[in-house]
Amino acid sequence: MNYNLNKINNKEKKTSTIAALKKLLELISAEKANLWMALIAILVNSTLLLLGPLIIGHTIDAYVRTKQFNGVLLFSALLFGMYLITLVTGYFQTKLMGGVGQRMLYTLRNAIFNKLQELPVSFFNQNKAGDLISRVNNDTDKLNQFFSQSLMQFVGSIVTMTGAGVFLLAINIKLGLAALSPAIFILVFTGIVSPWVKKRNASNLKSVGGMSAEIQESLNNFKVIIAFNRRDYFRKRFDQANQENYKTAIAAGLANNVFVPVYGMFSSLAQLIVLSYGIYLISRGEFTIGLLVSYFAYATNFYNPLRQLAALWANFQVAMAGWDRITEILSLTTDLKQSEDITGEKSNAVLEFRDVHFSYTEGEEILHHISFKLEKGKTYALIGPTGGGKTTTASLIARLYDPTQGRVLLNGKDIRSYSPEERTQKIGFILQEPFLFTGTVRENIIYGNLKYKDYTNAELEKVIEKAHLRELILLFDEGLETSVISGSDNISLGQKQLIAFMRAVLRNPDILILDEATANIDTITEKLLAIILEHLSKETVLVVIAHRLNTIENADEIFFVNAGEVVRAGTMQHAMDMLLEGKRNS
Amino acid sequence: MFFLFLFIHVFLTDLYNLDPMKEKTKAAKKPSIFSLLKPYKKLISYLILFALLSNGINLILPKIISYGIDSYSMGDFRMERILLYFSIAIVLVFIFTYLQSIVQTYASERVARDLRSRLSDQISRQSHAFITEANPAKLLTNLTADVDSIKLFVSQAIVSIASSIFLIVGASILLLSINWKLALAIIAIIPIIGGTFYLVLRKVKVLFKESREVIDWLNKVINESIMGSAIIRVINSQQIEYDKFITANARARDLGLSILKLFAGLIPLIIFVSNMAGLTILLLGGHFVITGSMTLGQFAAFNSYLAILIFPILVIGFMSNVIAQASASYQRIENVLNSPKLNHPGTITEIMKGDVKLENVALNFGQKPALKGISFELKAGSKTAIIGPTAAGKSQLLYILSGLIPPSSGELFYNGHNINAYMPEAFHSQVGFVFQDSIIFNMSIRENIAFSDTVTDESLQKAIDTAELQDFVSLLPERLDTVVSERGSNLSGGQKQRIMLARALALNPKVLLLDDFTARVDSNTERRILENVQNNYPDLTLLSVTQKVASVTHYDKVILLMQGEIIAQGTHQELIKTSPEYVQIHTSQQSTSNYELQS
Repeated sequence: MNYNLNKINNKEKKTSTIAALKKLLELISAEKANLWMALIAILVNSTLLLLGPLIIGHTIDAYVRTKQFNGVLLFSALLFGMYLITLVTGYFQTKLMGGVGQRMLYTLRNAIFNKLQELPVSFFNQNKAGDLISRVNNDTDKLNQFFSQSLMQFVGSIVTMTGAGVFLLAINIKLGLAALSPAIFILVFTGIVSPWVKKRNASNLKSVGGMSAEIQESLNNFKVIIAFNRRDYFRKRFDQANQENYKTAIAAGLANNVFVPVYGMFSSLAQLIVLSYGIYLISRGEFTIGLLVSYFAYATNFYNPLRQLAALWANFQVAMAGWDRITEILSLTTDLKQSEDITGEKSNAVLEFRDVHFSYTEGEEILHHISFKLEKGKTYALIGPTGGGKTTTASLIARLYDPTQGRVLLNGKDIRSYSPEERTQKIGFILQEPFLFTGTVRENIIYGNLKYKDYTNAELEKVIEKAHLRELILLFDEGLETSVISGSDNISLGQKQLIAFMRAVLRNPDILILDEATANIDTITEKLLAIILEHLSKETVLVVIAHRLNTIENADEIFFVNAGEVVRAGTMQHAMDMLLEGKRNS
Repeated sequence: MFFLFLFIHVFLTDLYNLDPMKEKTKAAKKPSIFSLLKPYKKLISYLILFALLSNGINLILPKIISYGIDSYSMGDFRMERILLYFSIAIVLVFIFTYLQSIVQTYASERVARDLRSRLSDQISRQSHAFITEANPAKLLTNLTADVDSIKLFVSQAIVSIASSIFLIVGASILLLSINWKLALAIIAIIPIIGGTFYLVLRKVKVLFKESREVIDWLNKVINESIMGSAIIRVINSQQIEYDKFITANARARDLGLSILKLFAGLIPLIIFVSNMAGLTILLLGGHFVITGSMTLGQFAAFNSYLAILIFPILVIGFMSNVIAQASASYQRIENVLNSPKLNHPGTITEIMKGDVKLENVALNFGQKPALKGISFELKAGSKTAIIGPTAAGKSQLLYILSGLIPPSSGELFYNGHNINAYMPEAFHSQVGFVFQDSIIFNMSIRENIAFSDTVTDESLQKAIDTAELQDFVSLLPERLDTVVSERGSNLSGGQKQRIMLARALALNPKVLLLDDFTARVDSNTERRILENVQNNYPDLTLLSVTQKVASVTHYDKVILLMQGEIIAQGTHQELIKTSPEYVQIHTSQQSTSNYELQS
């Protein structure tokens, strides 16, 4: 399955703004009550604020002109009361609307992360880490900016605009229509230009992703850059990405900025229309000067928020472009679904490959016609030249991938019919590249281990003692509490492998796969590991991949893996011969 | 023009940098975000110029309208003239706002690009220790999110604040000229609003800093869940990762809500204060009109100018949010930019013969010694192995030898010169290092191997042949130009290891440091590779960290390292006789050696 986000075909990508918005709104269905309350607050707030000038006007006409200061005092008190109310409604307007934005962002981020967890290993192999991180962080941040900063203004502006529009039409329908006609041009213009603006923003976000990937890769491997004296190369590569980003950012920026001048021009045009058409109407006796003056006020109240919307609209387009890129991830589904067992026949082996074929990319088959059985309590070794398919075979045992043809049976049932919990509990896999999480040794060795999660150190030490792991813990300066920083060199590769080993052993799986799991551990410590493995349950199946022969000499059976084929080697000697003759034509 | 700019500068610097705590602890004031703009004076001046021009003309529009109305009521109305004036004004405003938007885009993007270049330049000159310390994830945030918030500052805050101050000053002057008593009462709202802003922003600034840290935290969780995606799926620990993420995400949400709460209080308060100013006009102005000390027209003018006064205050409020974020980001970027640059006093560029000598080298991690009293000598062209248990300090020793980390004490000599006397370029091009962990870049195999710029086609080919990569490469669809994916996930462990060897050999190094190179390569290939190295690079000084005794029996020297100390050194034969620890290691591999001898 194709998981490469940058190569997914763009056919379905033509989602309209409204459709995208609808999807987004689904995420906040729980916020309905808050949205209604916010809307009420906004309506009350805007109404009161719009009424203010009207009341002031009335006070002037009725009391200031007639020199009645008592009346002025009375209406001032009324205004003061109104303003006090807006203090409350204004607070709730911002708080409710902004709260919706923040919680929506929270839900959205969770949804994306959840999706990341759901997707299979292939997805991560096909995408650059930096690009993924940029999508999750940078693109959601674009949405964040919109929700936390623009959304309130957006809604507020629309409400004020609508109110002013109603007044314009109510006072004089002819002049109202004329005053509003430039808005139609704006609408058409926005409709035409928006997809183009969004596209430019999307390509900018893409180059931001590329740049992040570049930085990510270089910074994580900085020691190579130093040791090979390629600081200048790092600068050059980065400058290239930076320059590329600059270009797309300028293109996007120029597109985003097209709205403000155009909106401004059309709203001035509206004033001109009101002025000339208004005076024309007055000359024909259909309108009055007094009304014309208030008409300008309402026209301003209509077009000023519209101008604000222009700036916000660009933000909105950026957010939508980010949303599109996020939807690309959200719309992916895992190809490793749990399915019904359809084998029907039983197998006595713990694990069995039945005529398994596998390819990472279509047309390039890595494994052909693989069949073998693993039986209870036995140790199996996979040997063969580098690149022969050993790790791939092991990955299929652990169902990191599904075979393209054929079946893998676990205890006689199709491995696909097991739930992930059940499957991962039965199969342990120590990967070639050990990965540690930031934290302590303790946290890392019981990582994901529900049984020992809440054990105290004393209890855990008993478990460790029983599993014969104590001596390994002693290899860490501060034992269980030794701190670990992911991706750093603060502990050696050999130590990382020890942690990964302990992590797997403590889970006590039915099948334990060791993929070069001890390659960087010294031979004496390795003897210790062999003893630990011997103390595992008598029923545990061990699958060992190694180059070092002492680690595999105790194997009950040896499989020779080369050029995508798995052959039973019989004796150790036979295996050695094959290894020596074996041509690396994989 | 620059008077205004200066004014903004002083005003805002005072507003944001008056952090009493910091002033005490740090004598030198940190550069404000405005100092960042110095090199872009010209662009910024144009930006402000266009903004003020379009704003100024926009101020004239109501005048034209009132002129139209007045002239009509006086019966002197000429449509064409009004139309002409108005159209000219509209076109001018359009041109100026459009120009402003272009300048604004270029200015902000240029500031962002240059800042990123400066950052990357600074980062590229740092030591290995700095990068580890500074944390790549944080540096990534510096280069992306932090730069973005500064970009926003340049593109929006500067223009808005300049025009707002222009409008506030203009409106204030007009108000004063009409009725100074009433004007003073109205202008009094500006310091009130300013004070409120100042108090709220001081709180917000702390929250902004915290929310950036939470973003770092989120990044870290996402990072680890992506980098560790395989093990997470093997263990089925997605829920655990999800829980970690939710904790960080909830914190981010709560911080966002706290910031929001402050602003939710601030904005209505400001509107309320300005409404109070309106009320003052009504009451006080109404009183003046009633007593006859003010005309109704002046009263009306006061009202309209108040509207002009309030909007810019609100804009400054919104923009202060942007500035506070940008200042926090700039501080973080400045911290990186101000970190001391690596200083290489070394000048030697001479070609090494390959003699290496260590004198009493020690390395401490905090209090704990990782290496102590390491002394040994490697003759040019000799072969030496370092053997020792896991976590004995073998890799650290190689890191010191490769100049990646400096020893805590003791000295290193290459060719009789202290390592620091070499120019880094000259040094690194003569000392090749094959790291233990596979580091493959997302580029073509050719670029991965010819990673240094001094590699010729010839030495590239020689390196490929030596690392036994020719067969593998010839089977690839685009040969050497095939792009390998990040983290090399479409290569096997052994292939990655061999590419890394070829990368080091392509330098034609005088000294080659191998860190457990043979661990992932099958013994058959390993033997051929070591023979190739022997034949193709006969003068090479080889220092190899390894676990296999069998492959080092013929080496000139074997160094046994345990718990950071050299336990024994000598040839295999000597160590077998003198060192019980070595014998123990040897015995632990005995059975295997038998096999290898047979085969």
